[in-house]
Amino acid sequence: MGPFHTPWLTFVAWIVAFGCIIFSIIWAIWVFKPKEDDDE
Amino acid sequence: MSESLIYAIIIIVYLAILILIGFITGRKTKSVEDFYIGGRQIGPWVTALSFVAAYFSSVVIIGGGGFGYMFGMSTLWIGAINVLLGCTVCWIVLGPRIRKFTQRLNTMTIPGFFGERYKSNFALMFSAIIIVLFMIFYNVSILKGMGHIFEVLMNIPYAYGILLAGVIILFYVSIGGYLAVVWTSFIQAWVMGIGLIVLTIFSIKAIGGIGPANQALEAINPGLINTPGVWGWPGLISFALIVSFGVWGMPQLVVRFYSLKNLKVLKIGTVIATIGTCMALLPYFNGAIARVLCPGLQNPDLAIPTLAKNVLSPFGSAIVLAGVVAAGMSTFASVLIILSSSMIQDIAKKGLKKKLAKGKSLLYSKIASIIIGIVSLIIAFNPPALVLTLTAFAWAVIASTTLWPILFGIYWKKATKMGCIISMVGGFITALGWMVIGKPFGIHGFIPGIIVGLILMILVSLFTPGFSKEHIEKIWG
Repeated sequence: MGPFHTPWLTFVAWIVAFGCIIFSIIWAIWVFKPKEDDDE
Repeated sequence: MSESLIYAIIIIVYLAILILIGFITGRKTKSVEDFYIGGRQIGPWVTALSFVAAYFSSVVIIGGGGFGYMFGMSTLWIGAINVLLGCTVCWIVLGPRIRKFTQRLNTMTIPGFFGERYKSNFALMFSAIIIVLFMIFYNVSILKGMGHIFEVLMNIPYAYGILLAGVIILFYVSIGGYLAVVWTSFIQAWVMGIGLIVLTIFSIKAIGGIGPANQALEAINPGLINTPGVWGWPGLISFALIVSFGVWGMPQLVVRFYSLKNLKVLKIGTVIATIGTCMALLPYFNGAIARVLCPGLQNPDLAIPTLAKNVLSPFGSAIVLAGVVAAGMSTFASVLIILSSSMIQDIAKKGLKKKLAKGKSLLYSKIASIIIGIVSLIIAFNPPALVLTLTAFAWAVIASTTLWPILFGIYWKKATKMGCIISMVGGFITALGWMVIGKPFGIHGFIPGIIVGLILMILVSLFTPGFSKEHIEKIWG
């Protein structure tokens, strides 16, 4: 059993959702670098 | 103050704000490009939150609560996959290239993109007709959901409820076009988010915490807290995929990337949209809690409204109601713009080569949105059984038709005209046929639809002639 009496496989759904927020921040700051000439 | 009066005041204030936005944005809508894609001048907050609002209709909130009520906490996975595939990965994979390519090809619609990218009038017309037909059915289902909410919570007769919501949406969409849609959706996303968060906090408080909620559900049936639990893998996975991966082919959502002011908008926009989409988990979570707090409901779709009435004050309950109505209105308005653009820009102007009088395109676009809205309203008053059946197919059929031609169109230079056409037709027939024969093995028609569409796109493109170097350079730069 995971936190709050939630089975681990069910609890992972919350982790996936909040992990996406972290991932999107990392992508926005360090990965996505649009070039100036991309904005035509 | 009576409960109905509190509901009425909140809803009237909220509807008045929407009408005001219609007037303000109407002054800024001067061209067809303004009307359909906001002149490609939309910033990150409005794009992201209007995406979230258009994604979640009242059907999703009410239906999501119903799924949570029936199948328990495993349905949280539907919300999680919504965030992962339906939002974050979708924004990262589609956003930058859709924005760049549609500007280079000078298109404002999804069928328009197919017409230019694949140089195919058939692909343009076929996708536009499928979108118009099935989006009208989708609109009917949204109106129907809103009508029932008005009926159950405010004692407003079904017909008056849909008329009230429908007329206001028609007003602001026909006046302000896309700008009105995204700005009203922006407000509506906040209303939805606040409503769902308030409901979640008070539901957890009422049941004594998340741990006690899970223990109470386990006492009813351990399958209500386990994954896949009482639903089983085929149903859970295929449903999660259709409402998540299906987004990649839904015009009212993909068009958000057309309207971005510039590519930098995607940086903040992706983060905001991801945070906003996390609210997708809440209807399922609250639906599961309702199984404990409101046992014995004959209709699971009443889980969210009944839970709101049980755990919130009339004021709080009215906020949740406003959130559910907001979800329906924002989706209906977004779909209306897509339908208008498909009929005027794609079918009439490009497909049938109709010459519209100079300077009249904007007027025709507005008239088209009003006519389509009225048709949706008339059908929704008393939808025939066939329409209700086809409504359930709308997402699967549209996404199976458009998803691969969009994705391969922006990532694979070798994707050919015939590959696009055969993939579209094959995906459409498979998804529709699978649903018509009753979803064998409990698998949603979207899954076979996209598998067949994918295979056909790759195989046919490999064996048919591609495009000239000039055409590819024009798109890829």
